[in-house]
Amino acid sequence: MSLWVDKYRPTSLAKLDYHREQANQLRNLVQCGDFPHLLVYGPSGAGKKTRIMCLLRELYGAGVEKLRIEHQSIVAPSKKKIEINTIASNYHLEVNPSDAGNSDRVVIQELIKTVAQSQQIQSSTQREFKVVLLTEVDRLTKDAQHALRRTMEKYMSTCRLILCCNSTSKVISPIRSRCLAVRVPLPSTEEVCSVLTSVCKKEGLLLPVELAKRIAEKCGRNLRKALLMCEACRVQQYPFSAEQDIPETDWEVYLRETANAIVSQQSPQRLLEVRARLYELLTHCIPPEIIMKGLVSELLNNCDGHLKAEVAQMAAYYEHRLQLGNKAIYHLEAFVAKFMAIYKKFMEDGLDNLMF
Amino acid sequence: MSKLSLGGKASSSKLSSWVQPSFGSLLGGSGVNSFPLTKGTLAGERKSKVQPSSVDVGGKRPRKRKVESQASQSQFFSRKQGSQEDQDEPWVDVYAPQSQAELAVHKKKVEEVESWLRVHLDLKIANKGGAILLLTGPSGSGKTATVHVLAKDVDFQIQEWSNPTTSEYRMDDSFRQSFDPDSRFNSFHGSSQTGAFQEFLLRANKYNRLQMSGDSQAQSRRIILVEDFPNQFYRQPGSLHDILRRFVKTGKCPVIFIVSDSLSGDTSSRLLFPKEIQQELGIHHISFNPVAPTSMLKVLSRIAAVEASKSAGKISVPDKAALDQLCSGSSGDIRSAINSLQFSSFTDFSLEKGLWASKKGKSAASSFKAPVRAKGRSRSVKSTDVLDDSPAIGGKDASLFLFRALGKILYCKRESYEVSEVPKLPAHLAEHQRDRLLVDPELVIERSHMSGEFFNLYLHQNYLDFYLNVDDVARASEYLSDADFLTAEWTSRSTMLEYGSSVATRGLIHSNSSRAQAACQSSVGFKPLHKPHWLQINRTYRENYLSAQSLFINFCLAPISLVTELVPYLAKLSNPMRNQAQIAFIHDVGHLSLKRFPGRLKLEALGDKDPGGLDFDSENEEGTKTVEPGTSSLSGDTTAEPVLQSSQDPGGDLPASQPQPTTTEALLDDEDLLIEEYDSD
Repeated sequence: MSLWVDKYRPTSLAKLDYHREQANQLRNLVQCGDFPHLLVYGPSGAGKKTRIMCLLRELYGAGVEKLRIEHQSIVAPSKKKIEINTIASNYHLEVNPSDAGNSDRVVIQELIKTVAQSQQIQSSTQREFKVVLLTEVDRLTKDAQHALRRTMEKYMSTCRLILCCNSTSKVISPIRSRCLAVRVPLPSTEEVCSVLTSVCKKEGLLLPVELAKRIAEKCGRNLRKALLMCEACRVQQYPFSAEQDIPETDWEVYLRETANAIVSQQSPQRLLEVRARLYELLTHCIPPEIIMKGLVSELLNNCDGHLKAEVAQMAAYYEHRLQLGNKAIYHLEAFVAKFMAIYKKFMEDGLDNLMF
Repeated sequence: MSKLSLGGKASSSKLSSWVQPSFGSLLGGSGVNSFPLTKGTLAGERKSKVQPSSVDVGGKRPRKRKVESQASQSQFFSRKQGSQEDQDEPWVDVYAPQSQAELAVHKKKVEEVESWLRVHLDLKIANKGGAILLLTGPSGSGKTATVHVLAKDVDFQIQEWSNPTTSEYRMDDSFRQSFDPDSRFNSFHGSSQTGAFQEFLLRANKYNRLQMSGDSQAQSRRIILVEDFPNQFYRQPGSLHDILRRFVKTGKCPVIFIVSDSLSGDTSSRLLFPKEIQQELGIHHISFNPVAPTSMLKVLSRIAAVEASKSAGKISVPDKAALDQLCSGSSGDIRSAINSLQFSSFTDFSLEKGLWASKKGKSAASSFKAPVRAKGRSRSVKSTDVLDDSPAIGGKDASLFLFRALGKILYCKRESYEVSEVPKLPAHLAEHQRDRLLVDPELVIERSHMSGEFFNLYLHQNYLDFYLNVDDVARASEYLSDADFLTAEWTSRSTMLEYGSSVATRGLIHSNSSRAQAACQSSVGFKPLHKPHWLQINRTYRENYLSAQSLFINFCLAPISLVTELVPYLAKLSNPMRNQAQIAFIHDVGHLSLKRFPGRLKLEALGDKDPGGLDFDSENEEGTKTVEPGTSSLSGDTTAEPVLQSSQDPGGDLPASQPQPTTTEALLDDEDLLIEEYDSD
């Protein structure tokens, strides 16, 4: 028994639930034979990966679904050994090069070289190229991206790249211009609803329309999240009721409570407690960026109009530092402290106004 | 230098004889042209005088060797005080303490050592086995002197271990048998030094010493004193521990280990005698403090007085102020203080006169000109402030334990300006008005022997307790953020580190407005300091992140959505398919206890003398995701399904990468991991 997300994942371009127009275009792309490098981007949970896998199936047939997990170790010129996990079929290789951290350049070059150097066995019946799927391209170092652009041209005859990322803003323009960019937008709320309903129908469950709608709104149109939520609802209570609570992840609840703690009191002691909570979140693998984002959106709910702009500006400032700096906690804490100071001042001013 | 040689030429005949052996290195270069100019008769005379003493000084540590060799010899020295011969001797040896009253060590400490000795010397027949005493303390705090003085008082003999050198080695018959000359250059030598140590420790007192003439029966009580350790032990403390275990079982007499504290991270007392071993073997640990300025002053003035009366004007004895300065400059190291006293009291070096003068002038001037550094001379005598810089001749590099260094920054002592010299800020900046700072932050960092980065982490962990106001905290935290930002770029990090720490410390000090004026500073009482969490948290974060990726690789998800969506929701689902390792991971990472406040993480209090450098792999965190041992062994299997592999024994290879739900356990685990990593480097 696997998760609904995996169980009901469409496996061919024809079966995709939304953005059918784009699916058709992709199919045409495959059929016309001249397959370019692709740069697939879009927000998380929009179905990029699903679409890519469908595309690969369209290219190579059912063989791409026989996946195997490989553990490769690559020796960098500096004799440093880099270990990385890849997922591969006979026709393609998927790798997340940003796993290798600073040595991602070596990983990219070596992996693509080995893939590109081996020819397809039956070139008459198969495509003459293999596909390398790189995920999280936006997290590659600049170094690696430049290496990538050279590699792309060099092995064009035997290898195609599909790059997958959330945003193209961190991808250097030479790479962008060498690829056909495919944007996969989030599904609309209605589309999410219909997917949820159809999945529940396949499971033999009855999903009330209101609940589907609430889930769709709550998940922020992230289809993966929607399906996970829906399944969590099923575990929580069945038959569904329209008003039932939609389970949230623990860390979201925790983060909200942290935000409440910040708003309810502003003192150095409270900041110390908040720091402990931030540490707790970090040990539970929540990345600092996500914490920052979650905090800001929760804090903004408690803010007055003109305070919002200030808080958002501050958040952007510290988020930037978070990206550049080494130790996230300094910046997270600085943001919280700054918010406390501003908020306290705001409240005191409000009190003064009330009194006069 | 020219002054120096002039002084040498003009000097009386007494000049050269005693200076040469003690400060030979100093005079070696500069005195070259001065000595040949002295009268020929003198040269011969000098040679004859120098000879005996240079034999004495030949040892690696002249003072200790000699004092140890015979207590009677030092009595001999004291007897012939006043005669000319002893001018060759360093005063440290001449005035080595002869009785407990002369010791500059605190009485309580001496009593503690003495009572231990009495108990264990007397009981040695009753309970078989060796007792172990560990003396630690900064160098020059009188550890060895105490033992030697007590040796006379309590009446026992000392047998001291000193590391054999190669030459001694070959001459020694007992070692030659096990020593193959052909293999001299391989590792054989090191291990046999260890072996020799073991031999020494276990067999040194097996047999009674032959009765020599004059040895009384009472002298049969003895102890072993170890100050040198074979190098091997620093690399493999385990081998020392094994020897000690055997010693405790079979040894016949007490042994005393003396280990000097060092301020850098690798305290050898911690390495050689970790807490567990101390407990296991019942090692008694007495830690010495630096010699208190008052008692040091007493000793110095006593020596000065004796010398003055003896030399009758030939030696210029420094005045009280100069002695004070010597005391503060030596930062509790009495050996170096006496050495510098001897050096500075030598009349015929006009160089040194000049030095004193300039020093006094400078310090007086600095108290007015540089307000940050300044601390009036008069003040420095009263407070025992090590920071106060008075580099007296031969003065020691003053250094600070981390605990004190942090305290200096966080408590940021200030001193109010005298009315006349108040620099006023304009009205709109009045809130930034601060009293004069009594510490120099850069100096504090330098003396804490830590990289600025670590120091900042410590500050960050502790600063909140010292602030009363949220606005101040906001400013302070911004400075910390700035400091981190400054050092972000790895290419420029080495230069920016200093600036970063400067920004952080000064920022913290300045933004604490509740401690802005000297008058209102007393409000904060004692606050315990703690070790920073960040490094450990960050490590756990990375480990969890990586193990999440390797455990759930089947889902083919980007790591971020994996840890923020899949794992937390899996925790909500009851899905029987997962294997053990995954279930454990989900349980630990997916769930967050939703208590209102988790309470503080278990804080590791920072002790008085703890070295700061507990973190060896801090440099890893600038983006290089090193594969942690736990995860690499987990996914070590190349083909097939690594996930299934690991499910066979979930407990076995995972614990390092698992955060424990209770943070205390996590802390313990991480310490283990830390050591492991250090070794692998």
